[in-house]
Amino acid sequence: MLRQETRVPVWLPGTLSVASCIGLWVVATTFEFVGPARLPGPKDLWESFEQLMDPGYAGGTLPQQVWFSVRLVLAGFAVAIVTGVPLGILMGMSRRAEALINPAFLVIRPIPPLAWIPLAILWFGLGNGAKIFVIWFGAFVPALINTYTGVRSVDPGLIAAARVHGARPWHVLFEVVVPGALPLIFTGLRLALQASWTALVAAELVGAFYGLGRVLMTAARDIYPGMIAAAMICVALLGASMTYLLGLAEAKATPWRNR
Amino acid sequence: MSSIRFERISRTFRVGGQLVPALADIDLHVDEREFVAIVGPSGCGKTTLLRMAAGLDHPTSGRVLVGGRPVTGPGPDRAVVFQQFALFPWKTIRDNIGFGLKCTGVSRAQREPIVERYLKVMGLDGHGDAYPHQLSGGMQQRVALARSYALEPEVLLMDEPFGALDAQTRIDMQEELIRLSRVHPRTVLFITHSVDEAVYLADRVVAMDRRPGRVREIMDIAQIRRSEKWGELPVEEVMDLESFNHLRTRIWRLLRRGDGEASGHGVVDNPPLRTQPAQKTKLRRAQ
Ligand SMILES: Nc1ncnc2c1ncn2[C@@H]1O[C@H](COP(=O)(O)OP(=O)(O)O)[C@@H](O)[C@H]1O
Ligand SMILES: [Mg+2]
Repeated sequence: MLRQETRVPVWLPGTLSVASCIGLWVVATTFEFVGPARLPGPKDLWESFEQLMDPGYAGGTLPQQVWFSVRLVLAGFAVAIVTGVPLGILMGMSRRAEALINPAFLVIRPIPPLAWIPLAILWFGLGNGAKIFVIWFGAFVPALINTYTGVRSVDPGLIAAARVHGARPWHVLFEVVVPGALPLIFTGLRLALQASWTALVAAELVGAFYGLGRVLMTAARDIYPGMIAAAMICVALLGASMTYLLGLAEAKATPWRNR
Repeated sequence: MSSIRFERISRTFRVGGQLVPALADIDLHVDEREFVAIVGPSGCGKTTLLRMAAGLDHPTSGRVLVGGRPVTGPGPDRAVVFQQFALFPWKTIRDNIGFGLKCTGVSRAQREPIVERYLKVMGLDGHGDAYPHQLSGGMQQRVALARSYALEPEVLLMDEPFGALDAQTRIDMQEELIRLSRVHPRTVLFITHSVDEAVYLADRVVAMDRRPGRVREIMDIAQIRRSEKWGELPVEEVMDLESFNHLRTRIWRLLRRGDGEASGHGVVDNPPLRTQPAQKTKLRRAQ
């Protein structure tokens, strides 16, 4: 029997698909299948990045704009973690807390984060407060729901096992409930991080003095496709690298799930 | 003081608006350092009874005393070994074994030698840093035993602890348990599906009925066990003894309600669904 060894490296298919997308883009723009007014070519993109780096655009250079946006995302995301996760744990562990919080949560949960923008601007003005609030709300909902689900999914048999071996309530919480819920908590945090970036860009589009959303808005007004693409690529790369870092943190926090 | 007393226990569950009696009128005691095994068909309330001693469930009427004091909740003086191991998947074997010690305030430095000793006793050397899912079922059950033993509880409650193991591992674990109880006798309430296991391990065997769960008969075998030195023999030799076979057949007859049906293969599950009042059966047996 002849059996061909066809061993494809795991990274190959992904690399191929990304490379062919880039290839398609290069071909489409160099031969102007799509005009430069609609889709910028590699050269336009490069020049936009150069301009963004050196004199800057829309009120700041690339590092300044990036730092401004990342700071807001981190702030909103952090506030969402420290509020959503403990509240989710509380709701998951206490029927009374659940009965108290859940109805209110069910009412505000369907409101899209972006619908809060006008009210947030009324409350906090056009500054950082409004944006952090909107990001917080977008990230808070998935953080809370997944934490709650994670806590409820912890095997009651393990809680019983802890208690018959002398666990006090705080042992049950920190040695059993939290680690048991951790995989779902991280799922919640990943969704919360994505929601943070969505909310950030939307909030900056509506009104901002700095940031990548401001770059996007200004570039649209200037009809500057290269700059629009540059800002979008920045958002994509930043979002992807923060998700990657979160994945590293997850692997570190849940070593029992690594093979 | 570490005896267990169930005093006129009954327990009724509410299932879909209906009251279902799970246990009725249970009077049972396990003396200090005695090993009592409970056998009975599925659903006769064995687990419920054990959970009450553990403080994880409470009787509808009657009371449970451990060491003369009413049980109000779980505590490290009554460690439980569960059928499904119930190890913490996120803790290493070492941390699983040391869990109870950590909860009861034993410092890391003091825990370490105890944990190492149990790793050795249970034949788990070299697996201390593994996680439970990396171990076989038999090894996981040994970790669960070690986690309970490490607390050196006065009372051990074991709910079909070897039920999920293959026959070979199960016999190894039974011998292990005999060895451990020789080194340090404790008060043990041991639940099992297996008549052989009950007779091999226990000083007394309690046979239960179901719907509702009642004590059918209690058989004292401590005398025979001691005089024939079962504790020092390998399982297969004990199982060859005439006395052993006589006892297991008697319990089988009891569980099969004394009628002349063929006996099974050592595991009591799904017996005939005929229910008879206990008195009637007793009369029949007396004939
Ligand atoms: N939490 C519960 N709610 C309702 N019924 C229960 C509950 N726990 C046990 N039961 C019922 O009580 C009876 C005894 O159960 P159990 O103690 O688990 O029996 P065993 O361990 O002997 O198989 C069964 O009929 C079971 O369905
Ligand atoms: Mg059971």
